[in-house]
Amino acid sequence: MMEILLDIIIFFCIYAIITLSLNIQHGYTGIFNLGLYLPILVGAIITASIPGRLAMLIYGIDSKLDFSYNNATVIDILRSKLANDPLTSIILLIITMLITITVCYVLGYLVAHPALRLPADYLALFMLCLSESMRVIGMQTDWLTGGVFGIQVINPFWWLGRYSYYGFSIFVVATALCIILIVNKISISPVGRLLKAIRENELAAESIGKDTNGIKKQCISLAFIILGLAGVLHAFWMGAVVAGGYTRVDFSYWPWLMMIMGGAGNNMGTLFGTLILVLIRRVMIISKHTFSFLPFSVVWLEPILLAIMLGIILTFRPEGILPERSRSITDYMRKILKLQ
Amino acid sequence: MIPLQIFLTALIYSFILSLLAMGFTLQYITLNVPNLAYSSIAFFCTYLPLTFLIAKFSPYTSLPFAFILGGAISFLLFKFLKLLRERGMSLVGLMMATIVFDLVIYACMNIYAEHLSRNLQIYAASFSLTTYDFKVFGLPGILFVSAGVCISLIMLFTLLLLKTRFGIAMRAAVENYALASTHGVDVDRVLAIAWFFVGGIAGVSGALYPLWFSMDPWVGARMFITIFAACVVGGIKSIYGSILGGALIAFSEIFLCYFFSFSFPWIWSYRAVISMIVAAISIVIMPHGIAGYVSRVRERRLVKI
Repeated sequence: MMEILLDIIIFFCIYAIITLSLNIQHGYTGIFNLGLYLPILVGAIITASIPGRLAMLIYGIDSKLDFSYNNATVIDILRSKLANDPLTSIILLIITMLITITVCYVLGYLVAHPALRLPADYLALFMLCLSESMRVIGMQTDWLTGGVFGIQVINPFWWLGRYSYYGFSIFVVATALCIILIVNKISISPVGRLLKAIRENELAAESIGKDTNGIKKQCISLAFIILGLAGVLHAFWMGAVVAGGYTRVDFSYWPWLMMIMGGAGNNMGTLFGTLILVLIRRVMIISKHTFSFLPFSVVWLEPILLAIMLGIILTFRPEGILPERSRSITDYMRKILKLQ
Repeated sequence: MIPLQIFLTALIYSFILSLLAMGFTLQYITLNVPNLAYSSIAFFCTYLPLTFLIAKFSPYTSLPFAFILGGAISFLLFKFLKLLRERGMSLVGLMMATIVFDLVIYACMNIYAEHLSRNLQIYAASFSLTTYDFKVFGLPGILFVSAGVCISLIMLFTLLLLKTRFGIAMRAAVENYALASTHGVDVDRVLAIAWFFVGGIAGVSGALYPLWFSMDPWVGARMFITIFAACVVGGIKSIYGSILGGALIAFSEIFLCYFFSFSFPWIWSYRAVISMIVAAISIVIMPHGIAGYVSRVRERRLVKI
């Protein structure tokens, strides 16, 4: 029971990070990005290829062994080494996260340059296609991610022995909390209001001297960093990276549904939508044997369920369960003058 | 010297891709909503020739049925989008609505592939019908059929657009929805027929695909990259530009892979990525694609005159 609860909490944390980054992009700035899984995949690929190889260098493991092609053997050796070396484990974790942050920031900036030249709808398609291209690269590059079969990754909490599962859970929850706090801080700061101004009327924001394109680029880069970190956490949590598993359904459409269901432009709403859908999905996966009456594999029930829910929400409650609260000028005046 | 097999692949691919790109652009300009389910609709119909083959018919007999199936799904999607639009749904919401169809089709395609594998012991998760094709002068039948279908559908569409009352009504509806309605055009009916027609084109293109290429339920997702790249290179919102873009992307994808494969034999695995790179370069150099470039050159000439 404890494992199930932890599983739900971890998946909630990872999806909360993803949906909050989506909320920054779409909910606050109005950038329509359907390719959320590009930075997630980049984060996962970095996790799959860098910490393991670094650990091999640190411990001087036989250079004839290749991390990708002799993955099981290398992971076995690294497990025994890292189990007694908490400092190296933590350093590897921090290095992975720092590399991901750097790579995702640069990638976000590079991608935003051509993408922002496109109209909103084509930007979404461009991002989607870029992500799918990255997935193709991940699936076909054996030395990077083990190709179609995937690759095992190290666990930076092996040194906790049988408590490594709990140790990593605490780390994921702490990271998610930090990101939630940062995103919340941004959204209530002047930057958040500037982002909303760009969303509402880009021309008006430009006319008061704001570099809307530059701000959008920064926004995409920030979202890429957050998504990349979600990819790192997901990869470490799963213990393996299979590039083919990072699909548009799991890492783009589900987060979109979570945000729309909760309410775009409202962090609390987005988190609420995430919680509901993570619960539904995990319960469905855990109790899949109860769907044995179906004439087909229960795996295909998930996209159908997602489609039905999306259809219902779009038709009957497109603004979400907790829609964004629009503030009147009186509210702002009250806030400024600290009036009741 | 390029081997015949490579040249044939590029040619057949260009015919299929041109049709797909034309359909995608046409659906986009009619409702101003990119249809994310478009490639899924097309590649759902690839299972029709396989089904016809199982029933001991020629795969080509499935083409009219593929047209009807693709058209029917597209028509349903149009009705759904129309309903949401009447409720004041934004562009984002409408695009999300196309995802609803994409997901259902994706699931149905996999369920059908699973059914064929489980009950009929036919490995439908990956198949090709090349061996069941006929030959004309030693050349595969699909070359002539795809060329015939592509050219005739483009000609038919051009005639429909330029020479019929329906075409005039459709152009009017695309240019200005409200104005066309006030002039007595039944805009919704016109657009519904257009969506059916385009869905039909997608269905036929999808049904032709496994007669030369290998098919699996994930081809739709991969091909979406190529269709999008073709539309971007050809010019967003330009029907004839997208046809040209389709041909260009198909030839560049196949020929670039072929020439680079001498030094990098693994490059064939990354075929879909090449079209995306071409599209990204095109966005930077020519943001409005070939059609935009051509219209700019025309404008300059007019100014000179």
